[in-house]
Amino acid sequence: MGPLIPNGVIPIEWDNIIAILIGIVFGFVLEASGFSSSRKLAGVFYGYDFAVLKVFFTAAVVSLIGVYYMDYLGYLDITQLYVHPLYLWGAIIGGIIMGVGFVAGGFCPGTSLCAVAIGKIDAIIYVGGIMAGIFIFSELYPLFQPIYEGYFYGNVTLEDSLGINPYWFVFIFSMIAIVAFVISDMVRKKTKKIFY
Amino acid sequence: MVKKKIAKVLAFRYKILAAILILLAGGLVLLPKYQKHEGIKPDELVSNAISPERYMTTDRLAHIIINQDPSFILIDVRDEKSFASYTLPNAINIPLEKLFDEGSDSYLNQNQFDVVLFSNDNFHADQAWILCNRLGYKHMRVLKGGINQWFTTIINPLKPDENMPAAAHELYATRKAASMFFGVVYPEQVKVEAPKIVKEEPKKVITVEKKKKAAAEGGC
Repeated sequence: MGPLIPNGVIPIEWDNIIAILIGIVFGFVLEASGFSSSRKLAGVFYGYDFAVLKVFFTAAVVSLIGVYYMDYLGYLDITQLYVHPLYLWGAIIGGIIMGVGFVAGGFCPGTSLCAVAIGKIDAIIYVGGIMAGIFIFSELYPLFQPIYEGYFYGNVTLEDSLGINPYWFVFIFSMIAIVAFVISDMVRKKTKKIFY
Repeated sequence: MVKKKIAKVLAFRYKILAAILILLAGGLVLLPKYQKHEGIKPDELVSNAISPERYMTTDRLAHIIINQDPSFILIDVRDEKSFASYTLPNAINIPLEKLFDEGSDSYLNQNQFDVVLFSNDNFHADQAWILCNRLGYKHMRVLKGGINQWFTTIINPLKPDENMPAAAHELYATRKAASMFFGVVYPEQVKVEAPKIVKEEPKKVITVEKKKKAAAEGGC
């Protein structure tokens, strides 16, 4: 039956409308859970608030388990799902740059837009920085192109590259998540409480 | 009292959630595995198999070839030897045993063209059709009766006698015209008419009278 759009259950013309609706809901949830505060987001790095880690890790694990159960029961064909292509060095370098930006600015790109929506000045400057970065990247694109388009490994998943049974992978991944939550809680208890 | 009990339970809420997570993830590992059905579903395959779209008549195919319809690919699933001796115009040879070789995939598994499979009759073409449909390839058709039917209907159509309905005669006329397109020569075509000798008319000579030069007159 699923995925709904590729199998024609929902006409493909609804693509953008659904995307906008999901975007609105996502932004609302981010803001409602306090993710438009750079202090809360930066808390992961300083050890006083692990909400970001917990929320995104939980989301990943829950959706992973849900997708595999739906695949098992035949509601969803997992082979039809989109797998993001892997450009190895592009991903590594981009990840480092984004991580540095995350620590320095206290936002990730999605939450920064969320914070702009509620009028945070630091977020506005942050988004200005993103735009400047995009501009520089576009202008120097010929220079970056070999990294951007090179080291292509296809649309691989961790299960493919590790050659591991996907169900065991899901189980191990959930274990890692729980361990990460426990450790993050221990770290939080040890660090000085900060009110923000 | 009740509140206290709830508070007691809620104190363990993260542990309970973690336990649920472990249960669900562990359930995935422990669930009995089954062989997944690949390709299209059986009921879809059956509905494709009984669909009138599956077969294409030789008359329709002749019409398509004559009109040079670009949206069709003809695929000959017979072996190379038969392909070399006779085939339909612009057909591609993909023998049945080489159906899933690397090169043939781009012809079969695509969305742009209608693929017409044919063999001597429709037996091997039908086999190829089933295999391709099972994999979910789209727009597959089979030439009804294959090359044999093609030969008896288009190349060498049976002439109807006087007692047959007008439609049969019309069909014969169409098929005959089609066969002429594919290079069949009929006796009545071969009759050579006596060449007319066209007499050339003698050329008329038109004489142009030249103006006489005027005698020079005095200037200024």
